[in-house]
Parts: sequence; structure tokens; C-alpha cells
Amino acid sequence: MKARCLLLISLFLIACGQSETPPTETGKTRVRIALNWFPEAEHGGFYAAQVHGYYAARNLEVEILGGGPDAPVIQRVATGSIEFGVTNADDVLYARAQQAPVVALMAPYQINPRCIMVHEAAGIERIDELAHITLAMSQRPAFSHYLRWKYPLTGVNIVPYPGNVSQFLANPYFAQQGYIFSEPFVAKQQGGDPKALLVADIGFNPYASVLIATESTVAQRADIVRAVVGASVKGWAHYLRDPEQTNRHINSLNPEMGLEILAYGAEESRPLILDPVAREKGLGHMSAERWNSLHQQMVEANLIEKTAAAAQKAFDSQFLR
Amino acid sequence: MKAHLVNLLKQVGPPLIAFAFFGLSWHALVEVFDLPPYLLPGPPRVVDAVSTHAARLIDATLLTAMGALSGFALSLAFGFIVALLFSQSRLIERGLYPYAIFLQTVPIVAIAPLIVLWIGYGLQGVVAVSFIISLFPIIANTTAGLTQIDPRLLDLFALNNASRWQILFKLRVPNAVPQMLTGARISSGLSVIGAIVGEFFAGYGTDDFGLGYLIIQTSGQAKTDYLFACILFCTLLGLTIFSAVGLASTLLLKRWGGAD
Repeated sequence: MKARCLLLISLFLIACGQSETPPTETGKTRVRIALNWFPEAEHGGFYAAQVHGYYAARNLEVEILGGGPDAPVIQRVATGSIEFGVTNADDVLYARAQQAPVVALMAPYQINPRCIMVHEAAGIERIDELAHITLAMSQRPAFSHYLRWKYPLTGVNIVPYPGNVSQFLANPYFAQQGYIFSEPFVAKQQGGDPKALLVADIGFNPYASVLIATESTVAQRADIVRAVVGASVKGWAHYLRDPEQTNRHINSLNPEMGLEILAYGAEESRPLILDPVAREKGLGHMSAERWNSLHQQMVEANLIEKTAAAAQKAFDSQFLR
Repeated sequence: MKAHLVNLLKQVGPPLIAFAFFGLSWHALVEVFDLPPYLLPGPPRVVDAVSTHAARLIDATLLTAMGALSGFALSLAFGFIVALLFSQSRLIERGLYPYAIFLQTVPIVAIAPLIVLWIGYGLQGVVAVSFIISLFPIIANTTAGLTQIDPRLLDLFALNNASRWQILFKLRVPNAVPQMLTGARISSGLSVIGAIVGEFFAGYGTDDFGLGYLIIQTSGQAKTDYLFACILFCTLLGLTIFSAVGLASTLLLKRWGGAD
């Protein structure tokens, strides 16, 4: 009896010790995708691929890990503790500048959903007209530094991003960063008069919700990468067509996100994902010009050092074909 | 003169050796395992970041120091007054002490956004967070010092018909000084942490960057060498304030005639 117990315990320990993800009982390959934020509409397509079985159809068992502020997505992917991650293009270039070997594989959002939310009553129509207000922006993403570098922002007091809209509602001379389908929706719901100005309209437009993996995963597990990218593209297409079931799933994971705001997010995401370029070249498309110009802008704004071929090596679109 | 030098060497020698050992092991670790900078930058990279960004780091440190010292000074003054109240009435102490503990246990990160909402962005927000974080050790230690009095001394004062005020200022307050200074030492480090957290949420406005701002920026941009440089300056700031308080308490206690 005692011997059998010991045997069981040691077997259990061996099972626990295996770090390389073993195939599941049904012979599927297990992979994990780490998100850069709490589960939201901006990750809808990846969840849709899970909910509607596109990953399963490619013989994958995908676990999606929700993130949050400070979630070290790129670091976890770069060190190999997680196979795939979801992040934004500017973060990919930041990380690569610090020798993190991550590569972008597909880019759902052709147009970055980032906006500056102002009060309708403030009469500000364009981002370059921002003046004499308090502007809450995070110091993390590249856009806030680019904005400071590009525009005089006369009389604009830039303060840390509060993470909610209560300051905005309390102060008519307050503007803040947001995602076009998120903060403005909440502000309106709570009786505010938000007007969203898309940052992409000033020409700073990093691909958003980009799927990443390491260079070595791309080189050594190309078949798996192809399967994940292919299924994710199908997931996004499904999400834009019919987001309801996926939204219910996201809502169950992140009850903060009500079904109404998720439905709105999916609806508003469609033109940002299926822009004319994606309609022509395919959902998730990435171009060298876009990566180059982002790299150029980040160099100009002193955010990263100029490196030869930095932009070309940052993405790999072979799996989209 | 020579004896002084030997003494000084005995004082600073061991920490310097520990510092050198730590630095070399860190360097070796990075070199041997060939760690990329986004995971752990080696000492040369950090030194490089310090020299490249020296001007901005110094500016940021001075600004953070202003927030931390203001919060610290406020907590000293307010904490002392609260402790005086507590020492005068058991009822007040019993009624309010739990709420003083509340200050110690409140998750500051959760209420910092509210503090900003109530009192606004900028220096005042930073000072408020620093104040809240560094208040409790002052209250707790000073109250203990004011109330834990040798009963024989209290009897002596009573025998001589000392008034309540005389007991307070001739017996209780002098008795509390060593413990108040202990509280001040604990709070000195906390006030820097409070200022940094305050800067995460309140900031100073467009062009004034404290260390908290730089920490958020550099960690978001994966610039770990610069981030380490910021952390280094934070610890130097904490150390400076701590040493200043230490020096002040040595001088004060000498005057008070007590031994630390």
C-alpha cells in the first residue's frame, strides 16, 4: 500500500514537472496566448476562434490568458514561458530595441482604436487643436510621446491616465486617452458628452491587438504558428460577422464588460479591422511600409534608436498567405 | 587623525566590499547567462543610462524629494498632534486608534485615484499620498512614547502637584522623543515610496517629471537599464532622507541626554 502511494506521488510529480506542454488526451497541441489587457472586444477574434472551434479544427487546444495594466506579455513570450502574445505594434518595436526576439504575425486592427476623448462642448475638432485643457495620457504607449513631440499643445496640462472616466465627467476642461469603442461609450452612458478624436488620423497608427511569437518559435514550430495564425484570422472574421456568443464568453470572464459595451465594441471594430487595405489583402495584413513608418516616427520622437532593418525583422507575414 | 581614518574605514569598508561583491556577481550573472537587456541589464548598461540621463534623473529626484519631504513633514506634524490627543484621553485613543491602523492597511494604490479626484493633480496629490503612507508609524510610536511612562515618575509629578500641562510637556513629551524619532525613521523611507506612488497617479503636469513618471515610462518602453537607474535614484533619495533623520535623532538624543 505504502509503495503504491509513493509510486503515485512520484508519477504525479513527474507529470507536474513537465514544462513542455504535452499533447492533450485527444492529441491536440496545447498553446497559450497572453493578452495585453483584460478580456475585451479588442481581443474578440482570438476568443471567437476558441468559442467557435477554429483552433480545435486546427488540432490546437488554446488557452487565452487575460492581462491587465503592467501585464508583461512581451517579456513572457520573449523568454519562452508563453508561446503567443497579443500586443500593439509600438510595443513590439520597443521590445525589439531591447533585444527581445519577438515577431508580429498578424494584425487585426489596421486602424488603431486609440483616441483622445474630449467634451463635445469644448469645441475641439482635431487633435492638433488641443489647447488649454487637462489631458490624461499614460506615459507607457508611444502615441503619448509622439503627440507631445509633434504638437505644441499650448496650455495643455498633461497628467497621468486615471484608468476611468470620473475625472472626465467631473471636469469640462478635461480630455483623456481611450479606445474609441470603450471610454466614450462609458462616458456617454454616465451622462457625459464625449467626442472621440482618433489618434490614427494624425498619421500615428500602430497596428493593434497584434499576435506575436518568438523568432525561434517561428523557425522551429512553423506548422503550429501557421495553425494559430490561420485560426485566429478566421476567428476575427467570425467575430466581426457574429460576435454574440463570443461576447457572452468574454462577459463571463470579465463581468466588468457588459454585453452592451461588448456589442458596441465589436460593431465599431469592423471598420477599423476591415478597412480598404484588409478588404483587398486579407484580414490581419501587415505591410513593410506601415512597420517602416512606425519605426521612423518612433525614431523621430526619440523613443527608440534608429536600427537598420529593425522594422522588416519585427514582423513576418508568411503565415497569412 | 590616523585613528579617525581607521575608524572611517571600519565604517564604510564593509558596505563598500559588499557593494563591489554584489556588482561583480550581477555583472557575472548577466555575462555568463548572456541575459538580454529587456530581462536584466548589466551594471555597465545601468551606469551608461545614469550618465546619459543624469540631468533628467537629478531633476526628477529633486521633484520627488520635494513631494516626499513635504508629505513627511506633514505626517510628523499631524502625527504628533494626533498622538498628543491620544495621550490626553483614553476615550479618544480607544475610539480613533483603529482608524489610525486603517491608514496603515488601506491599499494606497486603490485610493490614490480618488485622492487625485478629490484634491487634484500635481504636487498636492503627491504630497497627500506620501502623507497618508508615512503617517501611521509617527502616530503609533509617538503615542506609545507619550503613554508608556514609568508610574513612579507620574507619582513624583503628582506628589509635586504638577498640572496636566506640566506632566505633558515636562514628562510625557521628553519621554516620547526617542520613540517619535524611531517612527520618523520608518516614515522617512515610506514617504519616498508614497511620493513615487503619488506620482503614478497625480504627476506634476506636462513638463515636470518625478521619478514615478520616469519609472512608468521606462518600464512601459522596456528600457530596463534606464528603469534601474531610476530605481537607483529612488533608493539614494530614501537613503538620504533616512540618514538625515538618523543624524537629527543622534543630535537630538544627545541633547536629551538619552542613549539611542
